[in-house]
Amino acid sequence: MAAPTATAALNASVFTPGDQMLLTVTYSDADTKPLTVTIVVTDAQGNSSAPVKVTAVIDPLTVTVSDNSGRTWTRVSDNGSVAVYRSVA
Amino acid sequence: MPRVTVQVRDAAGNTATAAADYSLGQPVLGGYYLSGGADPTADMAGGNFRSLTQYRSLADGYIFPGYNRPWLVNLGKAGVQMNMVLELKHYGAASQGTQSFAVDGVSYTVPAPTMTIQQRPGTTWPKAYGYGQVLKGQCDGLLARALSQYRTLGFGVNIQLASELDTDHEFGTTEDGKAYNWAESDARAVQAMNYILTWFKARTLPAGTTFSVGLGGFDRACFQRTHPESLMSRLDYLQWNAYATNASHTALSRFRRTKDWAVADLGPVALSRPVIIAEWGVRVAEIPNQAAWIATVPPAIAQLNAERGPRIVRTNYFNSGWGTLTPKATGLAALREAYAKRPYV
Repeated sequence: MAAPTATAALNASVFTPGDQMLLTVTYSDADTKPLTVTIVVTDAQGNSSAPVKVTAVIDPLTVTVSDNSGRTWTRVSDNGSVAVYRSVA
Repeated sequence: MPRVTVQVRDAAGNTATAAADYSLGQPVLGGYYLSGGADPTADMAGGNFRSLTQYRSLADGYIFPGYNRPWLVNLGKAGVQMNMVLELKHYGAASQGTQSFAVDGVSYTVPAPTMTIQQRPGTTWPKAYGYGQVLKGQCDGLLARALSQYRTLGFGVNIQLASELDTDHEFGTTEDGKAYNWAESDARAVQAMNYILTWFKARTLPAGTTFSVGLGGFDRACFQRTHPESLMSRLDYLQWNAYATNASHTALSRFRRTKDWAVADLGPVALSRPVIIAEWGVRVAEIPNQAAWIATVPPAIAQLNAERGPRIVRTNYFNSGWGTLTPKATGLAALREAYAKRPYV
């Protein structure tokens, strides 16, 4: 099983107290695959149901953010490969 | 240093970790200068004024704290950060001749200044101690006298060498009858600044001593020439001045102009240094409502500091010349209000 990768970047390196801080996390894993399972039920006479679709993710990733100064980071967006978190300096 | 750590974990427990360090800057120091180097204590009282610019000629026998300026010591001891501009330009001394004096029991004789600067056509060109004179060691006595007085102050200051090298060199300089163009003058100044830095840094300095070189910041090529990395590695701050002298000038555009040149032209050492705005001002002739313009400064500084590049850490309003507050009470009230807001608090 492949290991995930992650990078973290802040929108600045020095903040004035009260400034908005934005953290961009870029992450991926070669094994992570979104997939769609389509189910069709067919009886012995060959009658089929309408297809039903279910989505799933193989090897989903969880992202956790911690801050050694106790600052709380709130997720603003996450599209599965780029997540943005916000805090206040 | 604060650090934010990101951990990404997959279903099997494999993890990847990434981290980003950051730091919290102190509030920007709002500062002041009062015309003639006069006592600014009353103007600053009760406001969030935490920084001050002062000008002294190395020719002057009273550099620290200055002749009859006990208030400078009081302000410094109260925590006001001093930006002391020390100039080779000759003023404040009785004559332009040779000076002989003793410093801590050592006798020095310093010859008359042999350079002219600020050679604007149609004006009288001021005298200054020459860059060649500095490099020959002829001005060591002036440095020794300044240091001896500085040691009695009781606090550390930023020593800004020269007020505005670009203004000094714009029309060339002349030393010992030899003319140097702008670029040549810049190169000679960098050598002389290096000499002065070497002289000071070889001696015991009060705790908290820092250094910068002075520029108006109005000429991009000059700004680049006077900030080589070899010099910047010995300096603690970048510095430039910002004036609004046209109705179209916004605070953001005026404070940003030199910063943008610095970011584009200077090396990583220079860009690692915070910025002192030794002078900023609004010229009332073109911008009658000085107060309204001053009110736009806090957000402009906050925006610039949120962008890439060196942070502006002190801004000292120049209540003199172009920046003269008219009427004074209205301008001062606007300054107080500005310095009571982010990023000054």
